Amino acid sequence: MARHTFDVAVVGTGPGGYVAAIRCAQLGLSVATVEDDRPGGVCLNWGCIPTKALLRNAEVVGLFGRAAEFGIKVTGFEASYAEAIQRSRRVADRMAKGVEFLFRKNKITLFPGRGVLRARDTVEVTGASGTETLSVKAVILATGSEPKSLPGVALDEKTVISSNGAVRSERKPASLVVIGAGAVGVEFADVYAAYGAEVTLLEALPRIVPIEDEDCSKELARAFGRRGIALKTGVKVASVKPGGPGAIVETDGGKLEAELVLMAVGRAAKVAGLGLEALGIVLDRGFVKVSPRMETGAKGVYAIGDMAGPPLLAHKAMAEGVVAAEAIAGRDPRPVDYANVPSCTYCRPQVASLGATEAKAREHGRDVAVGKFPFTASGKAVALGETDGFVKVVADKATGELLGVHIVGPEATEIIHEFAVGRTLEATLEEMVHTIHAHPTLSEAALEATLGALGQAIHL
Amino acid sequence: MAITKVVMPKLSEAMESGKIIKWLKKEGDRVQAGDILAEVETDKADVEMEAFGGGVLRKILAQAGEKTPVGALIGVIAEPSDDISALLAGAPAPAAAPAAAPGPPAAPVVAPIGAAPSPAVRAVTRPEPAPAVPAGVTAGRVKASPLAKKIAAQSGVDLRLLQGTGPGGRIIRRDVEQASTRGVAAMPATTAPAVAGPEYEDRPLSPIRATIAKRMPLSKAPVPHFYVTSEVAMDRAWELREELNALEDQPKISINDFVVRAAALTLMKHPEINASFQGDAVRVWRRAHIGIAVALEDGLITPVLRDCQAKSLAQIAVEARALAERTRARKLRATELSGATFSISNLGMFDVAEFSAIINPPEGAILAVGSVRRVPVVEDAGLGVGRRMMLTLSCDHRVMDGAMGARFLQDLKRLLEAPLRLLV
Repeated sequence: MARHTFDVAVVGTGPGGYVAAIRCAQLGLSVATVEDDRPGGVCLNWGCIPTKALLRNAEVVGLFGRAAEFGIKVTGFEASYAEAIQRSRRVADRMAKGVEFLFRKNKITLFPGRGVLRARDTVEVTGASGTETLSVKAVILATGSEPKSLPGVALDEKTVISSNGAVRSERKPASLVVIGAGAVGVEFADVYAAYGAEVTLLEALPRIVPIEDEDCSKELARAFGRRGIALKTGVKVASVKPGGPGAIVETDGGKLEAELVLMAVGRAAKVAGLGLEALGIVLDRGFVKVSPRMETGAKGVYAIGDMAGPPLLAHKAMAEGVVAAEAIAGRDPRPVDYANVPSCTYCRPQVASLGATEAKAREHGRDVAVGKFPFTASGKAVALGETDGFVKVVADKATGELLGVHIVGPEATEIIHEFAVGRTLEATLEEMVHTIHAHPTLSEAALEATLGALGQAIHL
Repeated sequence: MAITKVVMPKLSEAMESGKIIKWLKKEGDRVQAGDILAEVETDKADVEMEAFGGGVLRKILAQAGEKTPVGALIGVIAEPSDDISALLAGAPAPAAAPAAAPGPPAAPVVAPIGAAPSPAVRAVTRPEPAPAVPAGVTAGRVKASPLAKKIAAQSGVDLRLLQGTGPGGRIIRRDVEQASTRGVAAMPATTAPAVAGPEYEDRPLSPIRATIAKRMPLSKAPVPHFYVTSEVAMDRAWELREELNALEDQPKISINDFVVRAAALTLMKHPEINASFQGDAVRVWRRAHIGIAVALEDGLITPVLRDCQAKSLAQIAVEARALAERTRARKLRATELSGATFSISNLGMFDVAEFSAIINPPEGAILAVGSVRRVPVVEDAGLGVGRRMMLTLSCDHRVMDGAMGARFLQDLKRLLEAPLRLLV
């Protein structure tokens, strides 16, 4: 059994882990990484990146379907779902290789295998070639999360699949029930529907994308409805059983049959078998409890990313990775600003948001000013033929503080960032509107919505 | 490049001079805006003095142990290439210089901050070739986020008194909110009380008030005091305190904490007591920033516990104790040295039955608290033993009259005598 000495061991190489490893290396620390799958984690291999490739395919298919609007006659085009999956695998492989390249560039050693904490300064890696022991000064745990299911429903990844199965399977079902209308649910509903599957989206809460602003839910529901995606909200699933064309979903609102069921009810932290209990590392609602410096209750053991709690987002994990690395290197990192993590959903139209919803802001007793600008009034959006959606700015009436921003529409996930920068700099509505926005751009809608919150919208 | 004068900062309303305890930077050291240059002993506390501009600390003009008047030039920060000979040869720092120091006003005022620098401030930065915008904070310019500036203007926080915790010492929203809710950065997190609208209102003087204001100082300068005394039955408060202090994992609560909490609530009911004389107006404060007198070997300091009206009894207990400890350790921040709207002085621990305190201008009143004594009291059935405490309110007659003080005291007494209200 070989023993190796490093400054830091990073267990898990998803977006949190590989960013933490690289930042540690930049700060002069020697770094070992441990990975029992492929470098890049869920994000690069099975999550963010491959699904974005699939959604792009869905968008292209959608454009072909709309070709006549642009005066283009397309007869008999064929969209192969298998090839869409194959393309998304190529994209994922390429990005995962990029992580391996970055490790080599930063002289980070990768230990393939499963890592277990034996002590605060010892990580044992069990891989195909045996067991190795890493003696380190600090450990960063970044093991991520995995899809959850409903009680009593097993994910067989054949008839009842999770996102893990969906990104791998080249099979396009004729009918699909998606359980859960959060980001994962609506994205897959979009992809399968674009390829012609008959999709029903179920949500237990009263609206789809339920954590978003209510206006966003309504707008997305309208767009999905037009595309023939059936939405059933406020519906509780009682059971999922084999039968009919594949599975039968019993709900309190009736029975549904589909060839495939996609479970998208959330994700659970992967914390089992890591050796946390022996070190007295405490969990809080299933996630590892950490300090603002990302340190767990065990000194020198840090936890970042999905396992360290919501929001379960790659960019949050990356930010936490930097904080953990800098804390270990003796820097004084600025803690992650959890109130300013953008949330992005890449269905068509896209949904992006930041900060408080209008309802939440009012609940907190804020006297709010709201500005809303529809893309139907944006020259660029009309030229693109992408006029679904709006930009909505929720601000504090007295100070002009940007309390929340909610966008549905083309490139919403890109437009959101000017507001993220604004909030980081503590800009108020006035500073935002004094920023000249190029014409014609989709971002002009951001400017107009901000003006709207000041009661000064020009183009509305 | 900008040259930054380092002057003796005015750290409290009363401060006239300060002594450098020690320099933490030496000549030739490169400093950034926000770096701590030296520790300064004022008449009240030891305070850290920070650099308001970046460059090299070229010259130290006041050595450790030296006492210099507020505003006097004590050092120069400039780039090595800058010519500072004229500055060093120049006259002793004029009175205008304090603009380079954290600003003076003890009572926060609503004023546009970070507006165009005044001519006096311009002179400090010596714009030789072109008036370049100095990096970081230099004289007169406060480095603060737009949102921090707006909240400060609306809540009456003086940005110049704050130490920013944002990048490069930038004052951010959190700094202003903490200053306006408690003036302390390292306190246990509490929800900031929701404050709507400005922190005070200026009520025009009535003709009678104006006359009183004009005449009273002549009778007893500079603040015309009058005193109102009341005896409070503390039996129930005493019992309640013993019960509370028997609870595990709860902060220990003192009689003074009861008084602070009760006074804060009563001040909200009687804002006319929570008021300052402003010459042509009476400024009525809407928040109770209470100065709590702390006796030291060599004198008295009244650090400020902010927003007592929004704090629970336990919170007051914890924060008042921490404040007293920091006062004794001389580790107060500049924001804790000033800004009180009302003060409480308690000599109960010295077994003082009652006394009168001197008002701490610009506050309009101060409450003097005696000890809780066991005394014979007349009860329905005859003579019994009760716990009594004497309260004496010293009032500024320019701001209020006897009946106002009496009504305040009456309500304060009621609260203390039915102390369950202090828990909700």
